[in-house]
Amino acid sequence: MTFLIQQTLLYTVPLMIVALAGVFAERSGIINLALEGIMIFGAFVGVLFVRIVQPLEVFAAAKAAGDWVTLQGLELLAMLVSAALGAIFSLLLSFASVNLRADQTIGGTALNLLAPALVLFLIRILAGQNTLLIDGDAASWFMLKNSLFGMGRTEKGGFLWETFVNKSYIATYVCILIFAVLSVLLYKTRFGLRLRSCGENPQAADSLGINVYRMRYAGTTISGALAGLGGFVYALTTANCASTGDVAGFGFLALAVMIFGNWKPLNIAGASLLFGLFKCVAASYTSLDVNGDGVFLLAELGVSPHLYRMLPYLITLIVLAFTSKRSRAPKAEGIPYDKGQR
Amino acid sequence: MEQEHIIEMLHITKEFPGIIANDDVTLRLRKGEIHALLGENGAGKSTLMSVLFGLYQPEKGEIRKNGQPVSIKNPNDATALGIGMVHQHFKLIEVFTVLDNIVLGAETTKLGFLQKREARKKVEALSERYGLKVDLDAKVEDITVGMQQRVEILKMLYRDNEILIFDEPTAVLTPQEIDELMATMKEFAREGKSILFISHKLNEIMEVSDRVTVLRKGRHVSTVDTKDVDKQTLSGMMVGRPVQLEIQKEPAKPGEVILELSHFTVPSRDRRHRDSVRDVNLQIRAGEIVCIAGIDGNGQTEFVYGLTGLERSTGRITLCGKDVSNAGIRARGADMSHIPEDRHKHGLVLDFTLEQNMVLQRFRGAPFQKAGFIDNRAVRGYAEKLIGQFDVRSGQGPVTVARSMSGGNQQKAIIARELDRDKALVVAVQPTRGLDVGAIEYIHSQLVQERDAGKAILLVSLELDEVMSLSDRILVMYEGEIVGELDPKQTTVQELGLYMAGAKRGTERGETA
Amino acid sequence: MKNSLLHKDGVRAAFAAIVSILIGLAAGSVLVLIMGLTNDTLGLSGALDGMRLIFGGLFATGRNASGGLTFGFNPASMGNMLFRATPLILTGLSVAVAYKTGLFNIGAPGQYLMGTAATLVIALGIPTSVVPAPLLWLLAFVGGVLAGALWGCLPGLLKAFLNINEVLACIMTNWISANLVTWIFDKSQFCNMVENTKTGYIYKTTYGLTRAADGAGVFTDAAGASWTYVDGAGVATGKLGLDKLFPGSQVNGGILIAIVIAVAVYILMTKTTLGYQLKACGANRHAARYAGISDRRNIVLSMAIAGALAGAAASLYYLSGNTEFYWTSAYQSLPAAGFNGIPVALLAANHPIAVIFTGMFMSMLNIVGLQMKNLTAYNEYIADVIVAVIVYLSAFSLVIKLFLGRLPAHKAGAGHVSSGGETPPAQPEKGGEET
Repeated sequence: MTFLIQQTLLYTVPLMIVALAGVFAERSGIINLALEGIMIFGAFVGVLFVRIVQPLEVFAAAKAAGDWVTLQGLELLAMLVSAALGAIFSLLLSFASVNLRADQTIGGTALNLLAPALVLFLIRILAGQNTLLIDGDAASWFMLKNSLFGMGRTEKGGFLWETFVNKSYIATYVCILIFAVLSVLLYKTRFGLRLRSCGENPQAADSLGINVYRMRYAGTTISGALAGLGGFVYALTTANCASTGDVAGFGFLALAVMIFGNWKPLNIAGASLLFGLFKCVAASYTSLDVNGDGVFLLAELGVSPHLYRMLPYLITLIVLAFTSKRSRAPKAEGIPYDKGQR
Repeated sequence: MEQEHIIEMLHITKEFPGIIANDDVTLRLRKGEIHALLGENGAGKSTLMSVLFGLYQPEKGEIRKNGQPVSIKNPNDATALGIGMVHQHFKLIEVFTVLDNIVLGAETTKLGFLQKREARKKVEALSERYGLKVDLDAKVEDITVGMQQRVEILKMLYRDNEILIFDEPTAVLTPQEIDELMATMKEFAREGKSILFISHKLNEIMEVSDRVTVLRKGRHVSTVDTKDVDKQTLSGMMVGRPVQLEIQKEPAKPGEVILELSHFTVPSRDRRHRDSVRDVNLQIRAGEIVCIAGIDGNGQTEFVYGLTGLERSTGRITLCGKDVSNAGIRARGADMSHIPEDRHKHGLVLDFTLEQNMVLQRFRGAPFQKAGFIDNRAVRGYAEKLIGQFDVRSGQGPVTVARSMSGGNQQKAIIARELDRDKALVVAVQPTRGLDVGAIEYIHSQLVQERDAGKAILLVSLELDEVMSLSDRILVMYEGEIVGELDPKQTTVQELGLYMAGAKRGTERGETA
Repeated sequence: MKNSLLHKDGVRAAFAAIVSILIGLAAGSVLVLIMGLTNDTLGLSGALDGMRLIFGGLFATGRNASGGLTFGFNPASMGNMLFRATPLILTGLSVAVAYKTGLFNIGAPGQYLMGTAATLVIALGIPTSVVPAPLLWLLAFVGGVLAGALWGCLPGLLKAFLNINEVLACIMTNWISANLVTWIFDKSQFCNMVENTKTGYIYKTTYGLTRAADGAGVFTDAAGASWTYVDGAGVATGKLGLDKLFPGSQVNGGILIAIVIAVAVYILMTKTTLGYQLKACGANRHAARYAGISDRRNIVLSMAIAGALAGAAASLYYLSGNTEFYWTSAYQSLPAAGFNGIPVALLAANHPIAVIFTGMFMSMLNIVGLQMKNLTAYNEYIADVIVAVIVYLSAFSLVIKLFLGRLPAHKAGAGHVSSGGETPPAQPEKGGEET
């Protein structure tokens, strides 16, 4: 059970944060199809950052001394860097869709093409292979483990401790916190109210003195930061902190989660959990011992592994088929706003 | 004798690519007056007001407040100067609540967090004081158009505006609601607020305004005291030539029944709501113009969608003796042509050329189609014929891209196409919306001609003047039902208004619900 | 007048494309330069070589004795460009056709995969001893086309009847097909067991199903008969003499088939009633419906045609006889040939004839990437970077076009507003509403 919850969280959290990235862009009126690309970019930047600063005296010493607080600081720093670079990368989309009023779908597709190409180009030159790794592995550097808290090798905490602290990453909880804070921002603040108005009726927002261009930039930039962050967190927690120019369609899955969640944070959190579960099943059904009796139920069902891998996508389609009639996209999303034509 | 001017717009010139929307226009607004701005569609009234509200920057000219030159670069500047505007197309966020809409852009906050309690108190006080009743927690998409307008007015009051611009505020209201609005406007003026009232409806201007400024084709024609002029003079100023206010037509000679609806119902697209059109029974005969009148949003659009097959309907539709209740759009089109409400959404493929648009329904048939290929020469010849016959003007004739044509000529192209299809029933939905007087006269005469040629014409219109002058019979639609049948020669606009507001139902005069 | 204007518009689109290409190549050069200057192993000379290859990679012939790059006519590169252009032209057409109907077909990779699977299953599943090779080739090709069409229908149906965004539906069907195709080949008889150097590959189509002595084959069918695969007993697209023109390359008749298909698509879209309907639905779905054109039918049809074209791309690529499908990791990454149809179509402004040229250009970039990898310390992904930059630019090609339109002395746009008599002095483009 602990394993199942932990694994599900690993998939849920990046999905959730990236879906929220989609929400911020779309609520401001910009379709951000580039979530996948920004994730790839964010993952690369974060891993590269870790790789560069690892040899620094302070971190090397901390690692050697088992000073986990400093290492967690490094993790947070890397998250910050990938968010910042993700935000900067997303400016390409904002510029094209706000200033040049370009087709947002094509702009997003361009970033989705650009990110893996650029990342692989650089990885090949930097690492001489197709994968950029950090020195050592993610678990030994960043994972919270019982031993760090002075617990013995065989000592065990309670269920909650074992599930939510042991073998977990602080990044997961930081993301959940960010998710909560930003959801409040979206609904309870002046900024949020104004941002949402730009995605629904930019003409009205404009007539009330709200700078639509600035709001759309803000929405897309927050979106870029979250997607970049999500990309790194994905790489850190599910891919052993490696960047491969690929996040296995997670960005697109996040888009589906966003639509399924009807552009509302709370629903999205629920949807992410559902999809996280399916992803988890697909990824680790062979080692999944649901009720702890030592029987790997899903593996013994004899269903082809291909089916499990296909499931998240299949479910997405089926779910969309049932919810598309009720779903309500921000009314003005995807439509370039032209001050001259109000 | 020079009275105090609160706002002066001096020698304003505003150009758009290809046209001059305002050409050296001067407008002076006195404190505490209701000043009407009169002009045809496209005369530049809205542009001028958008300049005052900071939505457009003029190329030339100056704006002064209380004699001091001011610069209005955006709506924030306008709001800071106390200028507020009710736009013709409401600037509301449909999924927000009424309260959120009112405070948006002028929010009270603490550390960035919204403080709605104070705002609510202020809005409640205002709505109490002016009798502008609204439900602050309702979503805008769920309230009526009249209520939405009150929200717009409250938005201005909430910002303590003292110069209020109303852009065509009456177009969406019932005659009774119009009266209420007029009273509210007078109340504002009494309190010292200054009002700019944009309209092309002479009755309202005569009733409510102190002075009138007339614009024509972007130019200032004249500014007069309302008490010194009459309707005829004003309409002459507006159009630039004497206007026939009445349509010339013979009494109708109805023939056989062309369209019969029984228990015709159009379900709502949203299952939460009631049916959009409920249990309509009617007959339309050859040689008559029957008008569906009503306030916008009472099911007329859905009625037409259901009738033409764009939306599903139940009940029975008999067209030219055939039951077409379950027929598709194309099959119904065999006996029915349709001048749609929205020429950009339905009427034209804007990125197609004029000639491609002319064969939108007919491209499959002879002589335009041969073995699956389109005969371009036949299409060209046909388009040229229609263009000549209906005087459709465009930059490059048949190969003009429809998007580049003026609204009036786009509408003429649609009318040419639909009338030339020569079908027994013509469904015309707001055929003159947004057009100038010349185009309106032309379209009206075409419809009358078609009637006299024995066509059955179903007209759907929101313009009461059009309803009263063009139709032979009036059916009033209220909340999706036909609530009354009236004879335009024997009824008054006031009575029509009562039916439209749902205050009266039953056929012919006398019967009240 | 009308013709010259249409002409001008086309010229302007072409110019916009060329500007995009030049900026893309320049961006690639800058990246190469930066990497060269900041990386010691590459250095300035490496960077300069890289930049020369970006512009002239197609004509690179190797390095001379002193280590300098040499350039000249390279028939192998040229022929390979044509060979690689074949699927790109077809997936480009796939995206273009859908785009004309207002749909963004990001599902070409999935349709391509399904085409791949169907073609390979037919070509490798039926012995040429039963069906003669030319007929089997045709069957495999048609099978690939149909499989692509069917797969294209899916998002079309979802869009038309359930109003699910086709972009999302396409992305999902892409990944579903990726898993499905892996599944189909998993443990199938088509995995290459004959050449023991190959693991995870499907046979080339030149391999044919052949009866083997009992127990000597690589698999046994249900009837207990033993079968094996023999090189040369299968099918492959004819070379049609192109191999003589471009010796040392993989070129075959497929490129000619692709060009014929492009011309056919052009005729379909511009001259037929079907094309008229598809375009009407794309330009204004509501108006099309109003006129009695079934928008749903056309959405599905358009996606089916798009899918068929992507399927054809895969068929021709794998029927060439010198390409092998690497199936083991197919579920992890989608085929680039599908995605690359997007830049091909965008750069061609969705014009079917222009797609032929942009498809060749993209495959040239592909060759450039390979030469970068072979001749310098850079890698082939630089070509993808350039492509991405070009796509990015084509997102606002309209702006570039407008900009180009403003360069000459004549004013675009303002000149043609109505000269109507009773209408007011013409309104802005949007039409009849109050200004």
